[in-house]
Amino acid sequence: MTDLNAYRARVGEWLAANTEPRAEARRGDPLGLGREFTPDVLAAERALQRRLHEAGYAGITVPEEYGGQGLTPAHQQVFGEEARPYVLPDFGLMGHVCFDVCIPTMLAHASPEFLARRIPAILSGDDLYAEYFSEPDAGSDLAGVRTRAVRRDDGTWLLSGSKTWTSGGHYADYGMCLARTDWDQPKHRGLTWFAVPATAPGVTVRRIKQITGDADFCEEFFDDVVLTDDDVIGTVGEGWKVTQTMLFYERGGGTSGSVRSRDESGTAGRGRSPVAPDLVRVAAEAGRDADPAVRDVIARAHVDDLARAALGARLGELIAADPAKAAGYASYGKLAGGHFDPVRARAAMRAGGASAIAWEATAADGAVGGEDAQPPAAEVASAQLLNSRFLSIAGGTNEVQRNAIGERVLGLPREPAFDTRKPFNEVLKDARTWNGQVG
Amino acid sequence: MTVDILPALPEELRMVAEATGRSADKEFDRARVRAFADGGDGPGESYLRAGAELGWFGFLAGTEHGGGSASGNGFTDAAVVAAERGARLQPGPYTGHSVVVRTLSRAGARADVLPKLTEGECWATWLGHGGGITATTSGRGLRLDGDVTAVAHAADCAWFLVTAAGPAGPVQALIPADAPGVTVRALSGVDLTRRWHAVTLSGVEAGADSVLPATRERLAEQHAVADLLTAADAAGAMHADFTLVVEHAKSRIAFGRPIGSFQAVKHLLADTSLWLEMSKGMVAAAAVALGDGSPDAYSLAAAAASFTGERGTEVADNCFQVFGGMGFTWEHDQHFYLRRLTAAAVEYGTPEAHRARLWDLAAAGEAEEN
Ligand SMILES: Cc1cc2nc3c(=O)[nH]c(=O)nc-3n(C[C@H](O)[C@H](O)[C@H](O)COP(=O)(O)OP(=O)(O)OC[C@H]3O[C@@H](n4cnc5c(N)ncnc54)[C@H](O)[C@@H]3O)c2cc1C
Repeated sequence: MTDLNAYRARVGEWLAANTEPRAEARRGDPLGLGREFTPDVLAAERALQRRLHEAGYAGITVPEEYGGQGLTPAHQQVFGEEARPYVLPDFGLMGHVCFDVCIPTMLAHASPEFLARRIPAILSGDDLYAEYFSEPDAGSDLAGVRTRAVRRDDGTWLLSGSKTWTSGGHYADYGMCLARTDWDQPKHRGLTWFAVPATAPGVTVRRIKQITGDADFCEEFFDDVVLTDDDVIGTVGEGWKVTQTMLFYERGGGTSGSVRSRDESGTAGRGRSPVAPDLVRVAAEAGRDADPAVRDVIARAHVDDLARAALGARLGELIAADPAKAAGYASYGKLAGGHFDPVRARAAMRAGGASAIAWEATAADGAVGGEDAQPPAAEVASAQLLNSRFLSIAGGTNEVQRNAIGERVLGLPREPAFDTRKPFNEVLKDARTWNGQVG
Repeated sequence: MTVDILPALPEELRMVAEATGRSADKEFDRARVRAFADGGDGPGESYLRAGAELGWFGFLAGTEHGGGSASGNGFTDAAVVAAERGARLQPGPYTGHSVVVRTLSRAGARADVLPKLTEGECWATWLGHGGGITATTSGRGLRLDGDVTAVAHAADCAWFLVTAAGPAGPVQALIPADAPGVTVRALSGVDLTRRWHAVTLSGVEAGADSVLPATRERLAEQHAVADLLTAADAAGAMHADFTLVVEHAKSRIAFGRPIGSFQAVKHLLADTSLWLEMSKGMVAAAAVALGDGSPDAYSLAAAAASFTGERGTEVADNCFQVFGGMGFTWEHDQHFYLRRLTAAAVEYGTPEAHRARLWDLAAAGEAEEN
């Protein structure tokens, strides 16, 4: 306890002396989508990450031999609390992927040599990892990936195929890539993970324009990319185990994301709770904030916000009480986001009425006004609407979470599957002529 | 099996939860609940005494008034009891009774009545929480007039806490249920696990010693207690209904396999369990915040009641669908949960009313801060 208090004091002092206080939330949306990572922006973020690492505040729970601090999750939490008012390195969505998903997954499965070589460079901000897992023909059915890695006589690997929807792929240094290394095995076997350098010969990265007009995610093409055993993450052929760990963190099963402690989620011991201020602003700017119907829509969204925070606290406690069910419980947090984000985004649109579908052009749209001018609340609301199905799709759709909850938490029987036993080669062949017959 | 409003109940609370379940199963088991729904007798005196022995009625009273908490947070204790009672479809105005106990204990008033309530000698409940009663001053006391409807178990109560609109704002008083001018009429109701009444007050006199403080803060806390326990009872009923339906989905066979393997059913149940988990989380959050005296505690309680009001009926509806024709029968317990959850979504305010109070609470909070 005194240890933590001393730590808190030290962290607070360092942050005050070395980082900037955080201003209002950035323009756009809370996911940080839509921010352009130009080389200058990226260099500044990397420099800040390096300073954080050098001061001993990166990789707080990562073992010391891998460049981390070897401290407890409680220390991590203290740091998070102290850091809230300050600007920390921000690598967008990919930063979350890299630090909260890739690092813990690697720590759970990669060899000590791999970890000693790679993790310090991540913590110092030199190497950022994106997730190369979804493919044009394999999203929800992740075990159905078709990117192949073939081992050559000299022991090296040749990677070919393509990946898609890679968040931050255009400024990542590496991708954590799932590939099929044995086509004669059933689909969950014969998979292997690799760390693929984004700049390796044969890798092409292309940005994809999203519904918002931004281009935060990418597609990659692999044309006989040469990899070595040093690039393998975990055991060859046992990539599905790694995948499960990865998906657990992806769904917020770690310390951050949707599963939070009671304190962190703010359901206890915090101040008064104003009713959804962002939605009130949308309504107020539209002159609709006194309309009882609008007020009810806003209050309902606020109730859902509180219930989501309470769920986060409950999930943390459920996981602590029964770690074996952690993955299933994490799906609740993910599904709650996937369900309520779109509902909330629609609530904002209803609060704004006509103003939410058309507003005065501002600086960002090319009109006059300062760079820092607050965008109209309606503009934010519409951006959020377009982004609101992020959690209901990315990292496992709502339907995939419902399957996980139904089967892993409620213990309902699985659906009959007819592609899990036969060699993956045959699965693909048979799928083309499937006529509804099972077995 | 307990409802587990908190996933890892502290030992003392787990004992309260388990003992509450055992006591309910002994004093008023499912057969009695069914007979009661068919018009049979409610529980006798031993029921209240047994509950009192487990501390049911004293959690929200100070120790100086014969109360006391099991876990250190009486709100959590009471919520745990309410949840177990809801899961077992227990009769009695536990929510209203708890509000009265809390109110008398805080006011330090009616030392002659409070011990009777905490010791389970009789029931009491709260009238006029949603309006409907007016008060005029009468000497140093009050004169109460008005009608309220859908009061749970009013005929089983010996005391009423009455909140009324006075000439200069809200006022409150405690009156005996048999005071001159009080009429209690039995109603038929959708929720057969409880009895419902209309109460008319015409020229009921409440003496000065029966008048209780009715500040905004006191009233807000009374609502918060009612919201919390309504939500907890609902979470318990949802839990029990949902437990039954999951078993059903695993054992009922159609098209050569358990119906729970069909995605249409599995996904509906996954969503339903999400509403249940969130409801439990809300009850716990509200109870903890109330126990901590957190500034947002009343808002959390109102939000819990709004959430469980809406989602509780949805849980019952979804379970109904998965039970198929069986859920349509009197013989199956499903309809009792549906009925109880339907009433819970209205009894101490509709979800819309709870949300309106959220705005009032936020405005009051701002006013206080300025
Ligand atoms: C903003 C964004 C960022 C992303 N970032 C990344 C990233 O960084 N790296 C990466 O690798 N991927 C990323 N993804 C990809 C994401 O993980 C996939 O889009 C997701 O897993 C769904 O796969 P899909 O798009 O192929 O949809 P599909 O799998 O084709 O699904 C289409 C529909 O079918 C339903 N469906 C599929 N299978 C079943 C089933 N068994 N039962 C019931 N319904 C089913 C789905 O639920 C969905 O509704 C991102 C996606 C988005 C939108």
